[in-house]
Amino acid sequence: MAKDIEISNSESKFILEALKLKQRLDGRACDQFRDVEIELGEAYGDVTVTMGKTKVQCRISCEVAQPYEDRPFEGLFHITTETTPMAGAQFENGNNTGEEEVLISRMIEKAVRRSGALDVEGLCIIAGSKCWSLRADVHFLDCDGGLIDASCIAVMTALLHFKKPDVTVLGEKVTVHPVDEREPVSLGVLHVPVCVTFSFFNPDDTEENIKGEHNGEISIIDASLKEELLRDGVLTVTLNKNREVVQVSKAGGLPMDALSLIDCCHKAYGIVEKITDQIQRAIKQDSIARNQYAHILSSENARES
Amino acid sequence: MNTNTALQQDRHLSLETRPCSRGFEEFRDVLINDGNISRYSAKCQNANTNNVIGSSIVRSGKTFVITSITGGIVEETLSANNEDDVGEEELITLSEGSNRLAKNASVHPVVEIQRGRVGGPTDEEMITSERLHKTLLHSGILKKTALRVLCGVRRTDENGKTTKIYSDEILEEERKISESNNRRWSYVLYAKIQVFSRNGPIFDLCWNSLISALKSVQLPRAFLDERAADLKIAVRTRGRSMTIRETYDILCDPEKSLPLQLNQHELGYGSNYGIIDIDPLAQLAKEENEMDVDKPTSVLLADIETEAEESSIYSKLSLITNKDGQFKSATIIGGGSKITPEMIKRCISLSKERSKDIESKI
Amino acid sequence: METSMRVLSHVDGSAVVSNNGTKVICSVSGPMEPKSRQELPTQLALEIIVKPAEGVQSTREKLMEDQIRSVLTPVLARYLHPRQFVQICFQVLEAGESKDYTVKEVSVGINAAVLALVDAGVPLLSMCTGTCIGITSEERRLIVNPTEPELLECASVHVFCLELGTDENEKIDVRNVLLVDSLGTFDESQLFQVLETGEKECIRLYTELRSVIKDKVSRDFVWKQ
Repeated sequence: MAKDIEISNSESKFILEALKLKQRLDGRACDQFRDVEIELGEAYGDVTVTMGKTKVQCRISCEVAQPYEDRPFEGLFHITTETTPMAGAQFENGNNTGEEEVLISRMIEKAVRRSGALDVEGLCIIAGSKCWSLRADVHFLDCDGGLIDASCIAVMTALLHFKKPDVTVLGEKVTVHPVDEREPVSLGVLHVPVCVTFSFFNPDDTEENIKGEHNGEISIIDASLKEELLRDGVLTVTLNKNREVVQVSKAGGLPMDALSLIDCCHKAYGIVEKITDQIQRAIKQDSIARNQYAHILSSENARES
Repeated sequence: MNTNTALQQDRHLSLETRPCSRGFEEFRDVLINDGNISRYSAKCQNANTNNVIGSSIVRSGKTFVITSITGGIVEETLSANNEDDVGEEELITLSEGSNRLAKNASVHPVVEIQRGRVGGPTDEEMITSERLHKTLLHSGILKKTALRVLCGVRRTDENGKTTKIYSDEILEEERKISESNNRRWSYVLYAKIQVFSRNGPIFDLCWNSLISALKSVQLPRAFLDERAADLKIAVRTRGRSMTIRETYDILCDPEKSLPLQLNQHELGYGSNYGIIDIDPLAQLAKEENEMDVDKPTSVLLADIETEAEESSIYSKLSLITNKDGQFKSATIIGGGSKITPEMIKRCISLSKERSKDIESKI
Repeated sequence: METSMRVLSHVDGSAVVSNNGTKVICSVSGPMEPKSRQELPTQLALEIIVKPAEGVQSTREKLMEDQIRSVLTPVLARYLHPRQFVQICFQVLEAGESKDYTVKEVSVGINAAVLALVDAGVPLLSMCTGTCIGITSEERRLIVNPTEPELLECASVHVFCLELGTDENEKIDVRNVLLVDSLGTFDESQLFQVLETGEKECIRLYTELRSVIKDKVSRDFVWKQ
């Protein structure tokens, strides 16, 4: 069993005292998300997301498979998250049953797959007999907190970036065209959910069951690893650009003020909007870079869009 | 390894013999037969219930390797690469140059080393299985075309009497019946390789056993029931309707079978070697005699046996070749003594000899 | 070959190497306290983990782990850290070859591992470098470090690793062949051609890796005049 990271008493006290003064170790404000860096790879569906010292890679791949019997019109979509000691010594190889590992994979599953962000019906080739099986492999390369948020951005960007080979269906016969033969097609992404994680700290040692006027709890956005280890409660909200809440998760921990949930969603929305724009921008730049000769070859008239 | 056995081994080696009493370049004797495990073997007792279609038993020294091959049938997914058109043959020859492996097939081996306990596969078992699979795939011994199912049709006439027709056995005009459906099936082969009394590296033994088992494989003929050949079922799910082409059963003929076609000229057999330095201190016993100064201090041992040899030899070679020196695989690991080109050459000539010997025994 | 060292912050050493469409990141942690079943009484124990770019770990990666282990074990000064262990993780970022091949991933991984081990400060006895070579079926031409389409044309593919060092006269010293893994169809003379060409390429990579390490050390120790 790999050992958990332990923070010394003096360090934890220092971090908490600083938080009381609204100061964080990396100099961020309490409600400031780390700058996100999105790097798109050579292959379609290869995305590396860097947030501070957190680094996550996501890779999409697909193959032809048979759909589930009870869902003949839908393709298959799986997300796998595997931790290795590469991300940090607290992770053990081959053990994905740890509390943290399970939580991360469940959250990404809920935010992306269960929210219907991907149009799985678009993966269908022949109803009931052939469909695309899509898999997203999330690799945690470096962990400095915020794995859920970073993974969600990585998976969504990768889905937007990925292109599957074109197919022709003639009766029962399916022909898969290699990428060099026919332009591959993008996936149907219906909306882009983005996760924002809030961490709560209780500055007083005792828990306040009835929170009065002087609510002392501290809430910060996008905690780093050390802050994650010290936090008393956590809330992850997933929103999309349409101001829709996709998923809210607050599993025990420090009870939070009910009304502040709305406040958190408001704060998160600003972040979600910014990140969604950044994702779209990155995708657009990549496609321009890939098709730099397209405008010369195209015979279409320029249109206002 | 403890120092005692190491010293004992060094003393042996300095006296030009091995703890197992073999010479440096002497192999263990190998016995190979098919063990009557397969349903198609001559003395098979339970041909009706037995689903093993090829087998072999290899004995080398104390070690037994038993391979049994079973099979299944899968539908091929057609891709643009193997277009099912008139120009199929041309297309295949065209794509052959660009992707060599696309034409090769392999089996799915599972290696089990029996050591009297249960549990998940060990690393050695997984690695050996994977190496067998990869080596066979790259070797080109087994081609995809050899595994294609030449499907027949079972007809039921008015009297309820059934006949089975195979396209390659019937007249030209009837051939189109079975070719009318453009779905294609192929056999997949699974090899279960059990190793008893492991006493040294097992990869070459498993390879030899797998090859001799593949040579004995008979593929059962398969057919479709004519009545089920074009069945369509309408279904409605969540307000939408569609027809599902029933995945009709393909059945295996219990009587007829065809031998598996292997690329005979690609076959090769495996052997292994170790290189070890003799500790000069161990030679002290001989000191009184006039020591030949130019005597090499590292020696080549063929066919590593016993744990003592295995754990003290860090430089190893494993070669798969035929008697003419056409290689299928070569693995050289130089963790210990220096490997010189002369030693590799010596190993190659030994492995050709060995391959010739094994070939004569299968 | 493009390399960068110290790319990860929560491990002791790390490196990314990319070469001709294959990109592997390697991390090294240790020497540290092992789990009791890994402990070796007199030597440093090694744990090697290879994760594929797509899908979950399978026997394919187990074989790669085994090959990498046989290359790295002899170059580490294992006697210096008895009862301790080093964890070496590989994550393939871009495979650059289909699932039927592993030659490119293994050879790039080995070069990444050497840089990561140096970055982590794990003592080494010598350096090792790895390369892959293919021999085309048509012209029987040797291709060093083939691209994916070139790989498909090859009748045989080879991984080649050498143990190298520099002696006191600053001369490059070839110490041993650490790994040759050849698959496909080839003959004796081709095998020796591979050994010859591989040696040249490994020596070239060795000088390249050394200059990368030299740059890094001079940057890290900029305060030490």
